[in-house]
Amino acid sequence: MTIKLNGRIDSNNAPQVEKEILDQLAGQAGAPLELDASGLEYISSAGLRVLLRVRKLHPDMRITNVSSEVYEILDMTGFTEMMGVEKAYRIVSVEGCEEIGRGANGTIYRIDQDNVVKVYNNADALADIQHEREVAKLALILGIPTAISYDVVRVGESYGSVFELLNASSFSKILAKDPEKLDWCVKEYVDLLRKIHGTLVPAGKLPDMKETALSWARFMGDYLPEEAGKKLVAMVEAVPHDDHMIHGDYHTKNVELQNGEVLLIDMDTLAVGHPIFELASMFNAFIGYSEYDHETIKKFQGFDFETGTAFWRKSLAAYLGTGCETKIREVEDKARIIGYTRMIRRSIRRKGMESEAGRAEIKLWTDELLALLEKTDTLTFSTGELELEAAAENLPEVQAFVDEHLERADCPPKAQMQIAIAVEEIFINIASYAYAPDKGKAIVRVEVSEDPVTVTITFVDHGMPYDPLAKEDPDISLPAEKRDAGGLGIFMTKKIMDNVVYEYIDGQNILTLKKNL
Amino acid sequence: MLNIQKTLENGKALFALEGRLDTTTAPELEKELRDSIDGVSALTLDFTDLEYISSAGLRVLLAVQKIMNKQGEMKVSHVNETIMEIFEVTGFSDILSIE
Repeated sequence: MTIKLNGRIDSNNAPQVEKEILDQLAGQAGAPLELDASGLEYISSAGLRVLLRVRKLHPDMRITNVSSEVYEILDMTGFTEMMGVEKAYRIVSVEGCEEIGRGANGTIYRIDQDNVVKVYNNADALADIQHEREVAKLALILGIPTAISYDVVRVGESYGSVFELLNASSFSKILAKDPEKLDWCVKEYVDLLRKIHGTLVPAGKLPDMKETALSWARFMGDYLPEEAGKKLVAMVEAVPHDDHMIHGDYHTKNVELQNGEVLLIDMDTLAVGHPIFELASMFNAFIGYSEYDHETIKKFQGFDFETGTAFWRKSLAAYLGTGCETKIREVEDKARIIGYTRMIRRSIRRKGMESEAGRAEIKLWTDELLALLEKTDTLTFSTGELELEAAAENLPEVQAFVDEHLERADCPPKAQMQIAIAVEEIFINIASYAYAPDKGKAIVRVEVSEDPVTVTITFVDHGMPYDPLAKEDPDISLPAEKRDAGGLGIFMTKKIMDNVVYEYIDGQNILTLKKNL
Repeated sequence: MLNIQKTLENGKALFALEGRLDTTTAPELEKELRDSIDGVSALTLDFTDLEYISSAGLRVLLAVQKIMNKQGEMKVSHVNETIMEIFEVTGFSDILSIE
């Protein structure tokens, strides 16, 4: 129940106020109690003692709508830490303010040069605001550059949270104004994305995106042929649990450039999960939602469909660290499966079936989804992995793939060349012998770990079992006439790398090369 | 990815290499050399602009060294530090005469 506190409470009227409160609470000991302090101007220690006695009977007591003056008293005396004390909200108008962002849960306006307010769609948004504040704090502590709201305000019938955002410009705005900055934006955007996905979140702090995706997939059961529906759910279920952070709504309106620093905003969708779920929402933002009507993206992002598509594909290539079209398309297809599932469900729930355009859009997405389910079996992928035909002509692609990882790790040029030699020797070996005279695939993985910086390159093939390390080293002291060039490649690899290990597991030759940088 | 500039004069041959001597390019060099060194008594391979060498390149050097041992002399000049290390690791620094 709610009881209003008015005027001043001091030694003159404290006993009377206490009696009034207790009379109203008669017979309700322990019930949740809210003391509405909107009319309270002053409270002395006599009044504070009344609050303490009332709280004994109602341990969950909260004091709400507290003015700044009264809040200061409660704060000084430690009451704000002892019990729930909620300040009265400042009232802010967004009339005539520039809209700088719009997300699933609210709209962001610039209220003055230094500040923006995110106005929540949901009128009862205090819990949402609290949630966003908490997750933004968590992200900041974990090393993600973001803005944390410092005040909660009333905006008309809704609530808003206020952030400091000076001279900031979203990546959408930059791209709309300056298309030649595309490559720069891609790089910064992908660097931040990697940082997010490389951030391990303590268990239980953020929702699991896989659970959300599973609910979407289950919803689709009623709208897809039985087999396809079952496959979709099974594929989502098979995605391994992942405690790394994902943003959940990572598009260019939620990435801001402020004084040369790139900031992530709109944190309320923060979750943990496999990066495929992130890529799905990115695909939707840049392509999915605008696939039926290419004009949609202009309203949302301010740039056109071609720019969105170019940005998405370049970002995906950079994120995966490969220029290999096949690999990019393969991961894109996986992202589209989750992306379409989400969009179809969303549209159906928003009465999409009731309009002609809605039905056409749902049909387009459903047809695509069914075709993808036909040809795809898993939703997982890894970024540091390249799978391709083990053939000598693919060597440049392998080298480019490895080089890109090494450059990102600031590998010195000499070590980079030495590693390139080892990569050539091993890959050419696999290409020449593993499957001869047939053909087959090889998988190349690159990992860079820190402290000390170590590069690990792993080659996997399914060819005939062959341990290249078993061969005797060539005698390098022989004169030219007595030497043959056999075995030199493996010998060099062993000399160049700090550690080379061969294993044969489950029908796979696995050769792992390590070098400390 | 490998540029080969060759100069032939009075039984002397100079091959200036630029780029990468690897699995892809080594066969080109081997063919160029075999086509040109008949009757050559002094062969110089200029490595000033060679950036990279793998075992496929070493194989060609060994084959040509064996031929030149019979008909004259062969030198490898202006070898960069990284390639020099490869020569040392593989014992090629003892087989080749490096300037």
